[in-house]
Amino acid sequence: MPDQHQPELKRSVTPWGSFSWGYSDVGADIFVGLGLVLGAAAGASNVAFLFAGIVYVCIGLAYTELAATYPVAGGGQYFVMRGLGDFLGFIAGWAVLLDFTIDVTLFAWSCVDYLSEVVPVLLNPIHPWIHFIAVFGLIAGLCLLNVLGVRESTTFNGVVSALDVISETSILFFGFLFAFRPELLVHTMTTQWPSTFNLMLGASYAIISFVGLESISQAAQETQRPASVIPRTSIALILTILIYALAYSNLALGMVPWHQIPLDAMGHAQTLWQWLGNNNNNGKAVALLAKEVPYFGALAALYVPILGAILLLISSNSGVFGSSRIAYAMANAKLLPSIFQRVNRRFRTPAVSIIAFCTIAVVELIFAAWPSLDPGAAAFYAKFFHGEGGIGFLGDLYAFGAATSYSFVFLALIALRMNDPLSPRKFRIPFNIPMTYKGERVLFPVIGVLGFIGILSILVFTILTHDLGRIAGPAWLILGFIIFVVYRRNKGLPVFGSAPHDWRHEQIGILRDAGELELMDEYVACLKAREPAHAAEAR
Amino acid sequence: MIAIDPVGAVIAVALVVAVVATLWWMLHPPISKVQEIARDAESELERMVGSIIVVFAENIASQHMMALAAKLAKGERSELLAIYVVSVPYSLPPDAEMTDEERRALDALGAAQAIAAKADINLRTETVKARSTKQAVLDIAKRERANLIVLGSFREGKYTGAPLSRTIEEIAAEAKCDVLIGVEGKHGNLLVDQVGFEQFEQGEKAP
Repeated sequence: MPDQHQPELKRSVTPWGSFSWGYSDVGADIFVGLGLVLGAAAGASNVAFLFAGIVYVCIGLAYTELAATYPVAGGGQYFVMRGLGDFLGFIAGWAVLLDFTIDVTLFAWSCVDYLSEVVPVLLNPIHPWIHFIAVFGLIAGLCLLNVLGVRESTTFNGVVSALDVISETSILFFGFLFAFRPELLVHTMTTQWPSTFNLMLGASYAIISFVGLESISQAAQETQRPASVIPRTSIALILTILIYALAYSNLALGMVPWHQIPLDAMGHAQTLWQWLGNNNNNGKAVALLAKEVPYFGALAALYVPILGAILLLISSNSGVFGSSRIAYAMANAKLLPSIFQRVNRRFRTPAVSIIAFCTIAVVELIFAAWPSLDPGAAAFYAKFFHGEGGIGFLGDLYAFGAATSYSFVFLALIALRMNDPLSPRKFRIPFNIPMTYKGERVLFPVIGVLGFIGILSILVFTILTHDLGRIAGPAWLILGFIIFVVYRRNKGLPVFGSAPHDWRHEQIGILRDAGELELMDEYVACLKAREPAHAAEAR
Repeated sequence: MIAIDPVGAVIAVALVVAVVATLWWMLHPPISKVQEIARDAESELERMVGSIIVVFAENIASQHMMALAAKLAKGERSELLAIYVVSVPYSLPPDAEMTDEERRALDALGAAQAIAAKADINLRTETVKARSTKQAVLDIAKRERANLIVLGSFREGKYTGAPLSRTIEEIAAEAKCDVLIGVEGKHGNLLVDQVGFEQFEQGEKAP
């Protein structure tokens, strides 16, 4: 029988390519998150961002260490499966899948909101169907393009990311230079401090401004020298996004707008941050804020809505291919049925996966848009879910999915530090406690514990404060659990246990394929020192 | 008129510095051992091909190596010189007319020009009369401060079975720069088609 060689992914993603993969996903979050957080946390929006930002730094460091140590496609799901076993790996992957499908809908929705700055008819409150049809059309279009195998190139991502970095830095630079008043910030914070409930709500929304680090891990298998490059791109991404999120929230609270802010629906005067955070504007807050920067705003008004819409569309698209990629990786690891591995013969794309997850995205869109389309549904939502719907509903689920998967990633980080101390870690999270575990010297990650507590608190905030999220999120997990149990039983695989894996052999292959030959040598030497026979055989 | 608040100005500048510094740091990751080797090899290549001399002589057929040198020179923007060495025997004065040889030199250098034109690079050519091919090549390499001497197959190798001739071995041993020698493979037929070698081929077959 002839040798069958599995084609390998080409490692062509450069440091900027890796950064822009993450940036085109995470960078778009602030376009959605800013308005939501301002609407919820009011004068403490910057505090909500700071709290979520600290948790995000911990998440980022955990992802950086894990993606550099295990540079394979699969990201969080793979780390959890390796650290905590198949079942929890499935739960983490399933939660990430929820995030990716929400990603598709949420960013397509916000993309239309930003475009409405240029084409106002898209956000006409008298004809909400136009908005719905536009979002539906974008999702269907992205689905079709991905089934056909057409997607934006890394170069396109890189160019859009570069333009956006320049644009956002300029908005913030000129905003702080021309319009920031520290005394106004202090005044807003002291007079508009929210209730504890709203602060928790704001913090849970703030975390969605930082979702998407997964993309860097997803691209790890295609990144040149991932163990060396990924720590840098991840840390740069973490810092850049954190700087933007903190700067935007402080600027929004302490900025004197260039123009008169319109009256609210009741005819009352409103401040800049109230205007940005209201239901009509929270989907396009960055574009509106940019417009209010003196002088620069005249230029920003022309291009920020377009640039924002492009970045949001890329982010929406990353949800489409991200969900199919992770479903493929999960099917490969026997966590999902093999239908998700099926590649269409004609287009050579995982068409079944793409169509399945885009359909789920459309269902989410229907639930989000329903109250605006049908007065009966609006009354139902008002009665049971405090009138929550639209972008808020999508934000709920996004926060739930992210908080769930990130919680497991922290546990996986701790478990892998204890159970797999030999895998070389080119980047290691600082602040560790040296200890001995099962005869091995290990470093217990203190930040992993703090991060877990932080993200768990955000998960609790999400469950406490989001009426729809606390039902829809767990319902998604229960649905996944049923699929998992049925599939594993049919295949004769353990449900709560794990299928056998030779992680050591796999780790050598991972490092060899990644071109990290020095790390591979280091790993083999460690193995040899402990189990000479096994190391020789593995190599 | 907009009044600039000093705190706002400081934050604005700090923000730009922080973003630029972060991205600069990200784009300059440490290089691995393998990359270091590749980088050294690259810079070595740049040094190696700064100025290239392609050598032709009665028994040195370098057309195929000329094509290679032209591609190298184009990629690395090197200076390229093709020389034809006319060997003058001791039985003749140094400036003796070597009509047939000089005619063959014109053909060989004309072909070299055609190869260079096809590769879209500038080529200087020169015909040199000398007692010793080796010495002529080494002198010109010194004069031109050449980084690389390129030589094709030497006819002698074909019937002696030796891979290189004495002339080529001496050039390789004594040159102060790198020498690239293209030895024709087992099934090569370049020599048969080379300008000026048909006669030699016939001479070899003669009893």
